[in-house]
Amino acid sequence: MRYTALCAPAIVSMVLAANGHAETLIVNSYGGPYETIIRERIIEPFEAKFGIEVIYDAVGSASQDYAKIKATNGRPGFDVVVMTASQSLEGCKEGLLEEFSPEEVPNLEHLSSVIAGVAGPCGAVHEVQYLSLLYRTDKLAERPNSWNALLDDGLKGKIILPTFQNVMAAYLMEIFSVAHGGDLLENVDPGFAAMAKLAGQSIGFEQSSSVMETYIKNGDVWAMPFWNGRAQLLVDSGLPVDYVLPREGSIPLLATLNVPKHAANRDAALKFVNFFLEKTSQEAWVTGYKVGSGRIDIEVPADIRAKQITTEADLKALLLPDLAAVATRLSAWGERWERDVVAAAK
Amino acid sequence: MGMMIGISFQSPTEGSPTLASYSRFFSNDLVLAGLARTVVMSGLVAFCVTVLAYPLAYYLARSTSRWRTVIFALAIAPELAGVVLRTYGWLIILEDRGFINSALMWTGLITEPLPLSKNLLGVVVGLTHVILPFGVLSLLTSLQSINPNLEKSAQILGASRLAAIRHIILPLSVPGIVSSFLIGFTMAASAYATPALLGGAGFKVMATMVYEQVLFYLDWPFAAVMANVLLILMLAAGFVGSRLESRLHQKLHL
Repeated sequence: MRYTALCAPAIVSMVLAANGHAETLIVNSYGGPYETIIRERIIEPFEAKFGIEVIYDAVGSASQDYAKIKATNGRPGFDVVVMTASQSLEGCKEGLLEEFSPEEVPNLEHLSSVIAGVAGPCGAVHEVQYLSLLYRTDKLAERPNSWNALLDDGLKGKIILPTFQNVMAAYLMEIFSVAHGGDLLENVDPGFAAMAKLAGQSIGFEQSSSVMETYIKNGDVWAMPFWNGRAQLLVDSGLPVDYVLPREGSIPLLATLNVPKHAANRDAALKFVNFFLEKTSQEAWVTGYKVGSGRIDIEVPADIRAKQITTEADLKALLLPDLAAVATRLSAWGERWERDVVAAAK
Repeated sequence: MGMMIGISFQSPTEGSPTLASYSRFFSNDLVLAGLARTVVMSGLVAFCVTVLAYPLAYYLARSTSRWRTVIFALAIAPELAGVVLRTYGWLIILEDRGFINSALMWTGLITEPLPLSKNLLGVVVGLTHVILPFGVLSLLTSLQSINPNLEKSAQILGASRLAAIRHIILPLSVPGIVSSFLIGFTMAASAYATPALLGGAGFKVMATMVYEQVLFYLDWPFAAVMANVLLILMLAAGFVGSRLESRLHQKLHL
């Protein structure tokens, strides 16, 4: 009798484990408001549908997570990670990330082919943001509709720029390059010339987006480039700010779901990726986090559609540099940034 | 460390061994400027730490006052707060709209903020604060090992207190001075958080440049070269320090 009493819980646990009740999935992504929204809109419905427990790891940025994947040769200790299209391409080239197939992640076929092509076969684009022009509505008399507004005399000492180690800097330089007669890769002289002028306008450089936003929050900065998802969070917080996609266009930030090559829970990871790309999940994410989507068949309210990338026409209006080619030029551009742009700020 | 040395000889694009990253390091003026900045910053921090820690350590070594414990606790207290926290504290004090600049502008002494942060000055101030307790501890050990009767004897024989310090204490505490300088130099040269926060985009040192290569440019061979050069720099500082100490010993007939 005593043996039965002792053994019964152990046997029940073993049976439950064997039936898959102990299946877990470790998802690495961001903290803050992002975590609250992803838990509510994606993770909890996923857990309810598949019975898989999700452990959420909010430590590290995309670049730190990629470094961890590289250092551990594809065994970083998490199964799904949120990174960007640049890291997806690099990780695929290095053989560190899982290549998704339409059989295992059927919803990939519903993504815009243009967007899916930019991220490559190892990155599932679950979110599209763009580099927007964020500004203080209480300081600027008119809504700035052009990137050149940042060069206006009225904004001297009232803008802040990212350091080159924040990818916003390279993208901003490329946007200015195109706007001033150059292109996205080969002829970027006009972009660097414009950035040097912009540096003279700025109060300095900050690497972290979260530090950059403190300047506009306290009113020291009146306008700056910023990812529109984070800009929308500032708008929603009640600050007197708004953001625009200027008429010269913008470069998107394609956030991707990635699965490290040797993820411990590969099958659950692929289910999660596919679930995040479901039409209903994308609608929940776009309306919750207020970003764009690579799925153009989603149905979202008009106010969100007006400010986000959600249609084929929106996607066509974006500037899409070859991210693999950008990666090979980053080092040279970084040195040029030091010589031309940082020097101009002094 | 072996892996780091191995990676430094890898090609960023192919797997074959190469000296390309070393060649790039020694031919790139921006990187060499970063190395020079690291040496100057570390030297200044080591000097400031030693100069500031010496009187404090001397007081702690000789004092019998009941305040000694309080002073000792205050000297070590900065270590209780994290480096990032202390660095942000200095940023609040030194930045353009920080405490010092705001106070000076409010009093009308200046109209434009003084450049106190995002440069060498800010980083040296921040690092000196961070490393000072280590300087105090290394000097304290050295000064406590000097027999107080030597000072008393010198003063009985007519030497002033200053002369006793100069001719007795200072020479005998050379090992402590050298170790304080070496601790200050090596800790400053390898520090990341303080130069990153107080140095800004215009003041890059080896540690922040390694971080960029690892996380942003993903050029690990080049980062490994930088880390190896930094390591050799510290070993060289240690070698020079120990040689200097033995020479001073001989010169001072200790």
